[in-house]
Amino acid sequence: MSKVVEISPTTRHEGHTKLTMQVDDNGVVTRGDWLSLTPVRGGIEKLAVGKSMHQAPKISSRVCGICPIAHTLAGTEAMEASIGCIIPDDAYLLRVILQCANRLHSHALHNILSLPDMYIPGTDTHINPFTPEEPVRSVALRIQKLREVGQTVGEIVGGEPIHPSNPPRVGGMYKNISPPRAQIKIYDLAKEALPLAQDHMDFMISVFKDWDARPMASVAGGKEVEKTEKFGFHDQGYMASDTLYGSSSLDLDQKWYPERWTEVRPWDWYQGELEVSLEDPDYPVGGTTPPVGTKVWPAMEACTGVPLYDGAPIETGPRARLAMFRNYDRKGAMGLQIARQMEYMDCLYSMIEAVEALDTNGKVVADEIPQGDGSLGWAANEAPRGTDVHLTKVLNGKVEWYSLLVPTTWNFPTVSRALEGAPWQLTEVIMRAYDPCVSCATHMMVVDDSKKVVAQKLFQ
Amino acid sequence: MVLGNYKNCVSARAADPAILSASQDGGIVTQLFAFALEEGIIDGAVVAGPGDEPYKPEPVVATTVAELMEARGTRYTICPNVSMIKEATRSYGLDKVGVVGTPCQIQAVRKAQLYPMGMRSVGDKIALAIGIFCMENFPYQGLETMVEDLCNVKMESAVKMDIGKGKFSVYTARGAVSQIPLKMTHKFEQPGCHVCLDYVANLADVSTGSVGSPDGWSTVFTRTKKGETIWGGKAIEAGYFETKPIADVKPGLDLVTKLATDKITKNQKTLDERASFGVDKGLRNPYI
Repeated sequence: MSKVVEISPTTRHEGHTKLTMQVDDNGVVTRGDWLSLTPVRGGIEKLAVGKSMHQAPKISSRVCGICPIAHTLAGTEAMEASIGCIIPDDAYLLRVILQCANRLHSHALHNILSLPDMYIPGTDTHINPFTPEEPVRSVALRIQKLREVGQTVGEIVGGEPIHPSNPPRVGGMYKNISPPRAQIKIYDLAKEALPLAQDHMDFMISVFKDWDARPMASVAGGKEVEKTEKFGFHDQGYMASDTLYGSSSLDLDQKWYPERWTEVRPWDWYQGELEVSLEDPDYPVGGTTPPVGTKVWPAMEACTGVPLYDGAPIETGPRARLAMFRNYDRKGAMGLQIARQMEYMDCLYSMIEAVEALDTNGKVVADEIPQGDGSLGWAANEAPRGTDVHLTKVLNGKVEWYSLLVPTTWNFPTVSRALEGAPWQLTEVIMRAYDPCVSCATHMMVVDDSKKVVAQKLFQ
Repeated sequence: MVLGNYKNCVSARAADPAILSASQDGGIVTQLFAFALEEGIIDGAVVAGPGDEPYKPEPVVATTVAELMEARGTRYTICPNVSMIKEATRSYGLDKVGVVGTPCQIQAVRKAQLYPMGMRSVGDKIALAIGIFCMENFPYQGLETMVEDLCNVKMESAVKMDIGKGKFSVYTARGAVSQIPLKMTHKFEQPGCHVCLDYVANLADVSTGSVGSPDGWSTVFTRTKKGETIWGGKAIEAGYFETKPIADVKPGLDLVTKLATDKITKNQKTLDERASFGVDKGLRNPYI
């Protein structure tokens, strides 16, 4: 007989979500919903209307502090696409460096979040990143160093690693970096990080492969359960616009297609009203949603829209990029984790290539910045978590219409599908493999915050 | 305590005649930054470089001695140096930042180090803060009026301006000197200067100014361990400066103390009056 169990809140990812699942007698998920509970802080898209095209990307940057670069770049480039502004080459190169730096730090940060589920290979010890003991201590220090490199490069090129201030601006960047010191500093940092990233990638991949090969596993020291063979598999397609940077409607060869995108409301997608009928007070730490009998209603509670590509949910992120452009074919939750680690080296090599190509005396702002005639422009940025598409219409320098399609929003329904067939105790591992960024994913209005009800059915 | 904490005080001037050729006094700031650059103590310094208009300074990040030379001489108007300290650690990629400023600007630097609001990773990159004595400052329009209207000198013609001995003096390239009593300049002072309780840049590593030493020389306080090491331990030893004990020069520390006391007493009074500026209400006091 089917039972309903709920993990709320979920942990070790950005933002606030829950997993509401129907499970069979063996505790295997038959239908799962993973949904955002993050109350939307005002709805960036509505707020941006009427603001200047220079301000809107700086507001959308504040959607997320882990991947602000993605939102700043996608926002700025959507504005540029709408007004038809081509930026100088050196501005583009600076943006590429910034993009690489952000991805490096974000992936390294996500390692910290994922590791506690994993085991030191060949042992039954869960990895606690906070332990002062080896070998974990050196791994933690290595992660810190990689993040430091990412953030420092972001600081030099972006003015600020969290919410880049200096660049980017509509039409390019505010400043080029100063020769030769800043350029050399970026070189040095990237070269310093290269061998570390290589070792780290190897280590992380061995950890994830080790987990994948285990017949039993637990979530961060909880009860051991039997794993299923196709753990975290789904049949949804992939979406990516580039391996590293992105695409926009200004490109000759566009790699994202707005006509393939539709959006439905959670009302049409998530489960209706349910009653919790299974409770596990031992689920680490603090148990699942008590008590039995609690009413839950995913369709009304979810705070995200549900974007579809070709009428179906898709996966976006590191694996989508590798699958679409590099023939990567490993499936499941660990397949995604491994794909993420495989991006480390590309971040650093691309950073070095871009800084080599950069002319630090070059122009970084377009000579002419048109004010826009209201045409639609979009830009897709390959954020650490996947394709971040911003669409906008700019008229006379003001934003007329703005929409954000953020990676984790795309992944929400896909993850919900990927939960099926997994023991419910391990569903957080699947969700975590997507490196969710839930504040990114959420942009609608909360009507009644105390009841956490979002009036999306009523919301036009 | 009107002179702040200090380890040592001397009268000094730069040994390099090229620096002295256009320095305001003893060329201390330029020489010390040049020395620090050569020694790798700093890899750049935020200084008041030339701006768009004559005598209107612009904060710049100088990474060469040539750029430092451009910034010589006092410009009696506002130059927002602190606006560049973060940028110096960003697109300029500096790890060791030198900064020169008036007492208020040094206060800002220290505050940014202790309470870094929006000043991520700036604090530990401040390598040398040089303060200059400051009695008050003028907005650019005020300075223009003083020079062009009261002193009858075209801004473009001026090669040096100086406040000393109760007068504001302007020197032109063709040798003329024009002076007005300081009393005439008071109404042009920047109002914010009237609540300032720091004359000799108490919070700097090294502070310097003209008062107390003869013309062409500067009075120099070394205040922090860092200042002491760089100045006393290295620069003097390497022969970058000529020095005399402050006790041996006229007018010496007595005058510095007197002017500092005057400034602080006068401005403290202004501050106190703000508390009862209105009827049953006052104006804000940033010190409490």
